[in-house]
This record gives sequence, structure tokens and C-alpha cells, in this order.
Amino acid sequence: MSETHALTEGQYEPGLYAIRIKGHLHNRWTGWFEGMTVTREDNGDTLLTGPVADQAVLHGLMKKVRDLGLPLISVVPIEPE
Amino acid sequence: MYVFYNRSMSTPILATKLFVPSPRPKAVPRPRLIERLNKGLHGKLTLISAPAGFGKTTLVSEWLAASHTGAVAWLSLDEGDSDLARFLAYLVAALQTIAANLGAGVLSALHSPQPPPTGALLTALLNEIANISDDFILVLDDYHAIDATAVDQALAFLLEHLPSQMHLVITTREDPHLPLTRLRARAQMTELRATDLCFTPAEAAVFLNQVMALDLSAEEVAALEKRTEGWVAALQLAALSLQGRADVARFVKAFAGDNRYIVDYLVEEVLQRQPESVRSFLLQTSILNRLSGPLCNAVTGQNDGTALLDALERGNLFVVPLDDRRYWFRYHRLFADVLAAHVLQEQPAQVPILHQRASAWCADNGLPAAAIRHALAAQDFVRAAGLVELAWPAMDGHFQSATWLGWVRAIPDELVRARPVLSLAYARALLNSGDLEAAEARLRDAERWMETLAAGSERPQAPVTKMIVVDVAQFRTLPASIATARAYQTLARGDVSGSVKYSQRALDLLPEEDHLRRGPAAALLALAHWANGDLEAAYQALAAAMVNFQKIGALHFAISGTYGLGDIRIAQGRLREAVKTYTQTLQLALAQGKPLLRGTADLYLGLSELYREQGDEDAAIHNLLHSEELGEQAGLSDWRYRFCRVQARFKATQDDLAGALDLLDEAERRYRRSPVPDVRPLAAMKTRVWVAQGRLSEAQRWVQERGLSVDDALSYLREFEHITLARVLMTEYSRNHADRAIREAVHLLDRLQQAAEAGGRMGSVIEIALLQALAHQAQGELAPALVALQRALTLAEPEGYVRIFVDEGSPMAALLREAMKQGAAPNYVRRLLAAFGQAEGRTPTTQLLSEPLSERELEVLRLLGTELNGPEIARKLMVSLNTMRTHTKNIYTKLGVNNRQAAARRADELDLL
Repeated sequence: MSETHALTEGQYEPGLYAIRIKGHLHNRWTGWFEGMTVTREDNGDTLLTGPVADQAVLHGLMKKVRDLGLPLISVVPIEPE
Repeated sequence: MYVFYNRSMSTPILATKLFVPSPRPKAVPRPRLIERLNKGLHGKLTLISAPAGFGKTTLVSEWLAASHTGAVAWLSLDEGDSDLARFLAYLVAALQTIAANLGAGVLSALHSPQPPPTGALLTALLNEIANISDDFILVLDDYHAIDATAVDQALAFLLEHLPSQMHLVITTREDPHLPLTRLRARAQMTELRATDLCFTPAEAAVFLNQVMALDLSAEEVAALEKRTEGWVAALQLAALSLQGRADVARFVKAFAGDNRYIVDYLVEEVLQRQPESVRSFLLQTSILNRLSGPLCNAVTGQNDGTALLDALERGNLFVVPLDDRRYWFRYHRLFADVLAAHVLQEQPAQVPILHQRASAWCADNGLPAAAIRHALAAQDFVRAAGLVELAWPAMDGHFQSATWLGWVRAIPDELVRARPVLSLAYARALLNSGDLEAAEARLRDAERWMETLAAGSERPQAPVTKMIVVDVAQFRTLPASIATARAYQTLARGDVSGSVKYSQRALDLLPEEDHLRRGPAAALLALAHWANGDLEAAYQALAAAMVNFQKIGALHFAISGTYGLGDIRIAQGRLREAVKTYTQTLQLALAQGKPLLRGTADLYLGLSELYREQGDEDAAIHNLLHSEELGEQAGLSDWRYRFCRVQARFKATQDDLAGALDLLDEAERRYRRSPVPDVRPLAAMKTRVWVAQGRLSEAQRWVQERGLSVDDALSYLREFEHITLARVLMTEYSRNHADRAIREAVHLLDRLQQAAEAGGRMGSVIEIALLQALAHQAQGELAPALVALQRALTLAEPEGYVRIFVDEGSPMAALLREAMKQGAAPNYVRRLLAAFGQAEGRTPTTQLLSEPLSERELEVLRLLGTELNGPEIARKLMVSLNTMRTHTKNIYTKLGVNNRQAAARRADELDLL
């Protein structure tokens, strides 16, 4: 549950998120995923990172992941440095 | 026709959503899955839950075509179906493909501005399903598109009470919010999940080498199967990429060694292998939910749409036909998403233009909802605002103002405000939803434009924005429409004289022959007279408005006014005329045949109330049950509210005062402000029940809260409250003999008597006279008591009043016996006293139970001992399945059993029947 910890505060505020999925996604999906940055990792995963306005937007992104049949590995809020 | 309107002329139903997809000509046989599907028919539900592209829909359509001989209803869901009303409308439409008239009443009930509670609708629907003679399957395809708790709950309710002849199949990308654990535990559900649906290596081989005729080696098949993990869509894309390719081995090797998202990789391969014309066609049309040749042409600017769709289908390029004529198609959604992402990346500026073209075509081809969706997607709000404005009259006529509200709310406010016709429509939609306050700003916007126009050249400084009108016909009558909306709003707020002015203005503005627009204004005027206590004027005006509606064929409007006519006659103490009015309208309504017009259930309800007053209990209960049975399907939008009120009076008659209060509470929850005068407010009705329960302090608190006093100015709208106040005071006197209380009560009753006589409210005069008689009696003054009673008897006898006497209980019986001694109206008094006798003699025979069963429960218990099933018992008793279940539950609790057999046994043991 440590991943959700950061959510307990300010869950209605924008935050940075990293969505990890299996397989390499093309850069073209940036527009599809509301401007999230597509980073392909050496282990074959893709990280979608970017600002997410609120929980509703996050769930919308999850739905897109689902609809493309992409295997979802993790969703992590990123602490601002 | 690819678009049809169902018979009730309501929600336009897209027939393509009900189309059972035909199986592919060549397919991989999947006997292991078919067998499980067949076995699953014994349960209630088959859940096929797997990600996109696992061949869920294909499997179901192949199963149905290959091995199922019974009837099938199909419904392909999309995001729009998250609206419960729309979901139910489509559900009924799907069921109607196997039983033509099923749920017609449910449909008409749905299309009201305030749809009735879902539970009642679903019960009615379940009862009808239970009447279907043969087993059938209902498929809900793409259930993941639903994102609404209300729909989930409705479906859970249907499943819980599913008649045995129906089996439900759900395909979805995510597990639905249904009680799956319970269904699993009871073995009522068969599940097929991703691991079941994946192609096994053997199936992959059949698919690649036989269906797609690729002639691959065993190693190549194995490599593809491994890389795709049996994902059907991926194997299909891979096969498409391989067709006609010389370097098969190289492709397989490259693909297997790549870790790109499979669909990305393969769609790119497929797109590369298409001619440029096909490629650009695919990309441009990917924004469409449904494709037809002409629509594609409009979007691409080419004229090869039909030919290309045909070629795509033959080439297996992920287009799915949506009808037998192969006119409408859709892309497989996974494929469409990938294409749309391509377009978004390659030609972002093009996307809104494509949506605009689609919107224009849909608008020209009678698909306003799709036209609005595309205009909003293009963020072309100006276009959207125009379309939404034009859509209002039809949406209002189909009772879809809720959906319409969703559209108008997506449009930036400044665009709405620049449009007087749109602003007024917005106000009316808000009024329909009972939101009188939010409607105010929109009404002001529309009015400001009219004022600006009227000021005209006198005011050279024109407003910053320009006025925009799209629906010119609506604009012409806008001043009258604004006045009518104002009349509605002001009356609902209780400002009677203001409302009269507005209605009058609307009527002055409208030409004589515009019956459709004059009708509502005239009816509002009648309601204002009523609220003012001008009963005869109100009656005449309302009756005239109804005749007008009838003339232009708007019979449902005509029927809806009957309740008002009946109530006015009751206030006037003219019960027989009220009965006549209801009976005549009922004949008129029944002559229309099925589906019954809305308002029919209200007519039975009105009759029930009248027969109850006249002491004809059998007829009263018969009509009440009839009203309940037709219930929400053939009732006006506030039927349930009225039903609860009437039922509460029956409960009170049966001495179930707690039950009466529950019903009044329910009525309170269902109350919403409308222009119909609230002449018997619920809070006062509740107070009368408290008085009967002896809860004097609660009743007194109500008096304080309402600020009531015996010296208040009297008006018709407060009459019921003031009579209630007199009752509270009389109870106070009987409790502690406070002389002040009885003096005040008598004083108030005298004033009320005069006011009611002056207003021609003879119904009230009778009640007041009876209270005067009781007040005198309480003080030991028999002679004046009998004088007052005589006055009541004289007025009441010709109209056949009974309950108004009997409900006053034993003090009234004693008074009547005194009157009898003096020879007053002997036949009538004898009848009344007999009614008292019945009321007293009705106490149930002694039962050996701590909580005895009611008459109704005994009746149900008797039938539980028979072979009849639940729905049959409900029909026999003329109650809803839900009501029947409640009775059964109560019986079980009282008997301490938990099933039918045990209940029958216990009934025997206790000799209850």
C-alpha cells in the first residue's frame, strides 16, 4: 500500500505519475495518453510519465491501457524532487 | 431501415446495436469452449471477461449460430448506455426482438421527465419476461462500456430475480460490478476468462494454416503463438501481415525477437502493406463509431467508401458488419484505437476537421445525437450549440431532457447565453428536472434578448455579443414560450397572481389556432385559479384545456389533467361527479388499447380514493391494486408519490398507523415542486396520523413550525393545515381539558366553516361540521352537536360519503346513534352505523402467533401451498412480484420459517387457513 500513501493527501490535486506497462510503445501514443511521455526501458517495459490532473483522469488513462490490451505492471505517483 | 423509431415513438433506437453478429464464414472450431457455454445455460449467467481482442464476441456469435436453437436477444453496449434510462430503453428494445410487445409499458414509463424508481420498472419487466413461454438468451456485449453504478445495480437486480427461462451472457473487458462471488458460490455462473480464450498452440495452427491458409512450419506457428501468447487479435494481425509475403521466415523471426507492443508492430506492418488510398481511408475514418459508405465519403472527401468497406470486410481487416444489408460497419475497437492514435500523431490538425465533416453528414442524415457528439469532439461549439438548439423540441417531445441537458452543459456558457432559443430550452429542461433556481438565470438570459430587441434602435449601444438564433420557428413564439415557462416557475414557487399574469400574457401572444402552445398556458392558468380557491373557474378552464388537447390528438395531456378535475370536484364535495369524470376518461384511455396511455394508473388511483370514501371497500381495493399493477408503466411522473399518499390512507383505515407514516415519508421523498397546488401538504397529513397515535407533542411542534394560529387569515391553500390545527387543539382538550384549547378550536372551526361555504368547498364544509359536532360533544353539549351533525348529514348523503364519518371513530358512532334516536336521515345513518360495525368486526380471528398474519398475508400463504410459482401468485393477487416477495418475507418471519414448504407445513400445524 506504500504506493497509495502519496495519494492520501491532495488526491484532488494534480500530481506526477508513472504508469509501467509491458512491451515497447511507439512515441505516437503520447497524444493518446493525454500528453504523457513515453519512455522505453531496456527490460522491454514502457513507462508513461507525466502530470495527471486528478484521480478521474488517472482512471481514464487506466481505461485506455485496458482497451489496448496492454499488460499493466504498476502505477506509481512520483514525489516531486 | 437502419434507424427505426420503436412503436412508442420515444428513444430513437439504433437497430445496429441489436444486431446479432453473424459468425465468420471460416473460423477456428473451439469445441472445448462451446461445450462449456452449453453447460453454462443451466445457470443464470455466463461471464466472458477478457481484455480487448480475445475473440469474445466472435466466440459468442459462433456458439449461438452453431449450437443454439432458441431465441436470442442481443445488445451491443457503448458509453452512452451508462445513462440508466437509455440502457433500459435498449434492454427493452433488445427483448422486443424476441417478444414484440414486451416492456412497452416500461418504455413509456421511462420517457417521463421524472422516471419512476428502477426497482418498480424492473419488477414489471421481470413479470413480463416470466410470461415468455420459451427459453431465451440475452447477450450484453461490451459491458465494460458501462460506467454507472445505477446500471450495475439494475442488472444485479435483474440477475437476482431472473426468471428461469432467461439466461444472461455478458462479454466485458473488466469484471462487472455484480455479486460475482455469490453467483460463483451458488454455481449459478459460468466464466470464460483470458486463459480460456487464448488460442492453444493447436488452435493457432488451425487458424494460421487452415483459416488463413498460410502454410507455416510447426516452428513458425510455435514462434508466433509464443510471441502473441495466444492473443487472438495479435495472431490475426500477424496473419494479415504474412498474407502474400515471400519472406515468411524472416518476418516471423523479426517479430518474435521484437519487444514492441504487438499491436503497434503489427498494425504498422498491415498499414504498410496497404495501398496509400486504403491507408488514408483507414486513418481518416477511425474517428467514426459506425461507418457507412456515404458517411465515409463525407469524411474522406472521396467516393469509394462503400467499395472500400466491402473490400476491408473481405480482406478481414477488422471491420464488423452491423446489419444484414452490410450498410453499417464498425472497426474492431482495438484496431480503431490504434488507427486513431496514428491519426492523432500524424495529422493532429486534421482530426477536428474530420469530426466536423462527420457532424455535418450526421446532421443532414437525421442522426442528431451523433452530429452533436462529433461537433463536441471537434470542439466546434458554435456548431454544437446550433445542433443542440435544433434538437430540443424532439428531445423534449421524447421526454429526453436529461440527455439534452448533458449536451448543453458541454457548451461554453457564453455561447449558450448568446442564444435566446437555446437559453429558454435550457430553462425548460431545468424546470422539468425540478431545479427552479437554476432555471432562473437561463430565463433571464432569454428575456434580456427580448428586451434588447424591444428597445431596438432607441438604444444605440448594442450589447457586446451578437444574438444568435438557429431555430427560427421557435424564435417566433419565444416571447410566449418565455411567458409560459415563467408561469410554470412562478406557480411552482407559490406566486399565484404572478403566474396568472404570465399565463395570460402567453395566451395573448399566441394565435387562437396554436393549440399546442396555448394548451400548457391555459392549463397553468387553470391551476392558478385552483390554487386561488376559484374552484369552478379552475374546473371550467382545466376542462377546456383538456378538450383542446384532445382535439389536437394529445390525449395523454388530456388524461393527465383528470386528476386535477377529480381533486377539484372532491374539494367541492361533488363525489359522484368526480367518479363520473374519472370513469369517462378511463373509458377514453382504455379505448386507445395497448400500450396503455400514461395517466391510466392515476385514473384507477383516483377512483380508488373515491370508492374508499364512499365505503365501497372492495371496489376501492380493486382499483388500488389495479393502479399498482399498471403502476409506473402507465402512471404520470408523480404517480408513485400520489400512490403512497392514497395507500397511506388505506393503512390508516386499517389501524396500521406506523405503516401509514412510512408511506407518507416515502411520498415526501418523492415530492418535487410543480405548479399543481399542494392543497393537502404531507406534513399536515403526517400530523393527523400523529394525532391518531396520540403523539400530541409532535403534532404541537408541527403547529409551531408552521406558525399556525386560530386567528390567521384563511385561504384555500392553508385550509387543510388549519383544519388539522383544529384537530390538534381538540386532542389537547381531550387530553388535559384545557378550556382555552377547545374555545380556540370552536372559534377556528366557525371561521373555517364560513370561508369554506363562501368558497363553495362543500367537501371541507362536511369535515368542519363533523369536527364542530365532536367539539360540542366533547363539552357535553349534545343539542348543538346534533345540529352540526345534521348539517353534515344533509350535505353528505346525496354524495354517498361514508369514511369521513367512520374515520372519526367511536365518538362519531355514539353521536350517530343519538341522531338515529331523533330520526335524522334514518336510512343513511343506519348505513353509516353498519360501516362502523364492519370496521369494528374486522379484527382478525385469533391466531396462535405473537405477530398475527394480515388478511393479505393469509391469502398469500394459501397460495404458497399450491403449485403456482412466484410470478403466477403475484398475477393472481394482482400485485407486483416485489410486493408479493415482501408479503412472503413477512410471512416467513412471522412463522419463523425460511422456505415455502416449511411455511405451508407451519400453516397446517397452526391451523391458520
